Amino acid sequence: MVSVANRRQFLLAGSALVAASGLGGLPAFAQDTRLRLVFWGSQARADRTYGVTDLYTGEHPGLAIEGEFLGWADYWPKLATQTAGGNAPDIMQMDYRYIGEYARRGTLAPLDQYVGAGLDIASIDEDQLHNGTIDGKLIGISLGVAAGAAVYNAKALADAGIEIDPMGWTYDDLKTKGAAFAESTGGAVALAPDGSGIELLFENWLRQQGKALYTAEGQPAFAAEDVTAWFKLWAELREARAIVSPDEQAIDVGKLETSPLVRGKAAMNFTTSNQLVAYQTLVPDPLGIAIYPATTTGSTGGHYRNSSQYFAISAGSAAPEQAVEFINFFVNSPEAAALLGVERGVPASSAMRAALAPSLDERSQQAVRYIDQLGAIAGPVPPTPPAAAGEIEVALKTKSQEVGFGMQSPEDAGPAFFDEVVATLARAA
Amino acid sequence: MAVQTAIATPAGQAQRPSVWSRIWQNDAPGYLFLLPWFIGFFGLTIGPMITSFYLSFTNFDLLQAPQWVGANNYIRMFTADPKFSASMRVTLFFVVFSVPLKLAFALAVAMLLNRGIKGLPMYRALFYLPSLLGASVAIAILWRQIFAGDGLVNKLLAMFGIIGPSWISNPNYSLWTLIILSIWQFGSPMIIFLAGLRQIPQDMYEAASLDGASKWRQFVKITLPLLTPVVFFNAIIQTIEAFKSFTPAFIISGGTGNPINSTLFYTLYLYQEAFGFFRMGYASALAWVLLALVGLFTAFSFLTSKYWVHYDD
Amino acid sequence: MPSPLRRRTTSIIVHVLLIGASILMLYPLLWLLAASFRPENEIFTSASIWPSSWSLDAYFRGWNGLRTGFGTFYLNSFIISGLSVIGNVLACSMAAFAFARLDFKYKNFWFAMMLMTLMLPYQVTLIPQYVLFRQLGWVNTFLPLVVPKFLAADGFFIFLMVQFFRGLPKELDEAAQMDGCSPWRIYWRIIIPLSMPVLATAAIFTFIWTWDDFFGPLIYLGEMRQYTVMLGLRTFTDSTGESDYGGLFAMSALSLVPIFLFFLFFQRLLIEGIATTGMKR
Repeated sequence: MVSVANRRQFLLAGSALVAASGLGGLPAFAQDTRLRLVFWGSQARADRTYGVTDLYTGEHPGLAIEGEFLGWADYWPKLATQTAGGNAPDIMQMDYRYIGEYARRGTLAPLDQYVGAGLDIASIDEDQLHNGTIDGKLIGISLGVAAGAAVYNAKALADAGIEIDPMGWTYDDLKTKGAAFAESTGGAVALAPDGSGIELLFENWLRQQGKALYTAEGQPAFAAEDVTAWFKLWAELREARAIVSPDEQAIDVGKLETSPLVRGKAAMNFTTSNQLVAYQTLVPDPLGIAIYPATTTGSTGGHYRNSSQYFAISAGSAAPEQAVEFINFFVNSPEAAALLGVERGVPASSAMRAALAPSLDERSQQAVRYIDQLGAIAGPVPPTPPAAAGEIEVALKTKSQEVGFGMQSPEDAGPAFFDEVVATLARAA
Repeated sequence: MAVQTAIATPAGQAQRPSVWSRIWQNDAPGYLFLLPWFIGFFGLTIGPMITSFYLSFTNFDLLQAPQWVGANNYIRMFTADPKFSASMRVTLFFVVFSVPLKLAFALAVAMLLNRGIKGLPMYRALFYLPSLLGASVAIAILWRQIFAGDGLVNKLLAMFGIIGPSWISNPNYSLWTLIILSIWQFGSPMIIFLAGLRQIPQDMYEAASLDGASKWRQFVKITLPLLTPVVFFNAIIQTIEAFKSFTPAFIISGGTGNPINSTLFYTLYLYQEAFGFFRMGYASALAWVLLALVGLFTAFSFLTSKYWVHYDD
Repeated sequence: MPSPLRRRTTSIIVHVLLIGASILMLYPLLWLLAASFRPENEIFTSASIWPSSWSLDAYFRGWNGLRTGFGTFYLNSFIISGLSVIGNVLACSMAAFAFARLDFKYKNFWFAMMLMTLMLPYQVTLIPQYVLFRQLGWVNTFLPLVVPKFLAADGFFIFLMVQFFRGLPKELDEAAQMDGCSPWRIYWRIIIPLSMPVLATAAIFTFIWTWDDFFGPLIYLGEMRQYTVMLGLRTFTDSTGESDYGGLFAMSALSLVPIFLFFLFFQRLLIEGIATTGMKR
């Protein structure tokens, strides 16, 4: 039997021990305030981000910003562990698949009270603010506008004598030109990676047919047959040698360096427009940017102007004002914008876009132009995804590997994946 | 508890010191020396075990109070969770292949070393080194590189004109890379085998070779039977360790258990559920199934041991 | 009866086998070491264990490859491992002394209990322990990693010490008791001084296992400046590692150095410890 008093004494003794031993964390040296900042990304993103934090802390003596970055796949379990431990970082980079779940758990601080008082949103695009608003509360500040895009090695395509229409190519093109490309490289390099496990690409393909990934109520907006058709499409492309082998695809763990494009096994990757800049730092040949393939010539509605990522503040942050101030600097100051470029997407603030425009290098301009040119190809932004969206994104990748390695036929994989989606959604609700 | 029973014992002899002072003199020092262990045992083992059993019947996300859901977690696990069955398959496969192979290796090398050869301490130390370093993150990182598509193994194979696959990202081989990693660390069972071999009286072999028994016959008829207690011990320890294995699978698969869950060790899945998805109740249920599994295995080993383990006395 | 010649040939064959096996066993380790000194562009093109040129660059790059330097990680690892050694040696030797040298009621029962905890998969207690430490406010401190050591949580070491203590002559205690020595004095003045080998073995194993521990720090330490070397290494792999393999290998090799030093200087103690109790690794 442990009485309440005993428990309290135990707690007291425990905290005394923490204080006495200094184990509660090393002393905070000279800084009065410390902000922890986490994000996923590549070294290129880290260099730019740390450039901004160094600039900012240089101007704010007494403030330290401790940055940490991981790859996409490692980032989410890590963030979940920290959040579970009541120890979430002050500022965290958020993705549209997860922001709803984190916000509804009450782990993210609403930012409405800071608007006009430390946080300036006057020049930020309306749709970007809307994307970061969950249940009527402003939670995430968009760090950039991006859209799904295929990044390709322009030189490799030219060498093979292959041409694609960047704003109008189709899955049929992928198949025929992919076969021709494989022919010309002797099969050593494929035109494209295996995109069957890329959720964004799947969503795009669904949307082109008037469907979607999730309804506003958080239910699947597609059927088991759609999944089967999707896997069949990729099986045909695999057959035609238009895409890399399952072995090669499985090496890709979501980091740029592991992608078939960077490893020289494919001449393309299906990613988002903002990544063009980062890929260019890793691939020596000039890169081009194209839309995701169209299902039929001239089909529209698949793409949308997304927020590439957000900054959000932990509900448990000890220094939310300072965190807000930093985010404000990050998205609203020309100095920060100059350092960040369009690596996280085109700035959501019109003022920053204007400030940035003259100084952008060719590749960055290309990424900006791509967003502008989307025009009618783009459709409306989908509703905030349900809580299990992140888990389902991972599940699609696993399922696609099962089909790729021939462990399940597309006919079986379709219903199996659909059931898994339904079960996962039900469990998270 | 100790106090109550002590009082209940007959204390008729009046000339002896009182019950209390006897307890103080006889029992108290023991319990005092065990005090830290007792706090740990009840606070960190027994208490948490009871709690975890309770939690396994709840939905619990750490933020809100646990919600009682009856046996739902267990039902889901056995009827509607493909990842559970996948992780169970992976773990059992790992245990079934890594433990016997590791022990076979350990025994073979121990036999080689037990011939009174020169340089025994050096060889023993060299073979033991991987065991000592093996659990480290650094080794897992190294392993990932060795078995990558452009890794060391394929470099060596290329010298013979063989183009190897990317072992770690191919679901047919990925688990084997972890099994090989486990076998590589055969050093500590090897040392235990060596100690066991030392205990076998040399004159038994001399008598056998006088009778004309071949080396192999001597091994089967003398060495193996006399060594069974050591084999038994090693098998139990290594199996429990194999069930608990976590770090290599975590590092090699980047925490995912991929490709296609082929390295989704049970412990890795449990970690994902608990700390990746806040499903502490379900993870507790997973833990209890693991305990049942390890318990069953241990009980089975002990029950069957009398048929194959030979003790001198 | 084998002739001397035949015996010689067998012996040579055995040595060749053993040397071959040793090279095979150590090859990955030597390759890792070589890779850490190699020029970056040679890492993936060479299977040899001799770099074409030697450079310490990767060590400097890796050391500062993350925003928080590896110096901090090493300091943290040393603090945690050091405290764990003190805790484990103290608490386990006390428990072992009780089990090996004292008589008290239900001793066998508690000893059996202790042995049972050896077989318990830690996952069973993991989540409630986490909840407990979270309520105590210990998550994100070193305490969850260190305090259990002061509570003799790793029964293996109790077992190891019990084996040793039982081997000490019983007359020592009896004589001391005659002189009116308290159990505490017997423990502190007689048993401990005589048990330095086993205490050293326990200390070294505790250090190595704590140093290597990945799971504990993974779930309990959230901030980079608290990371242990192992956690730092993992972070390095997941972020910078893909773009700086040289730095990653350099830091990997460096993380093994403390363990290797213990191995070099104390391998006899370690091997004896395993041989007498069947330590798991």
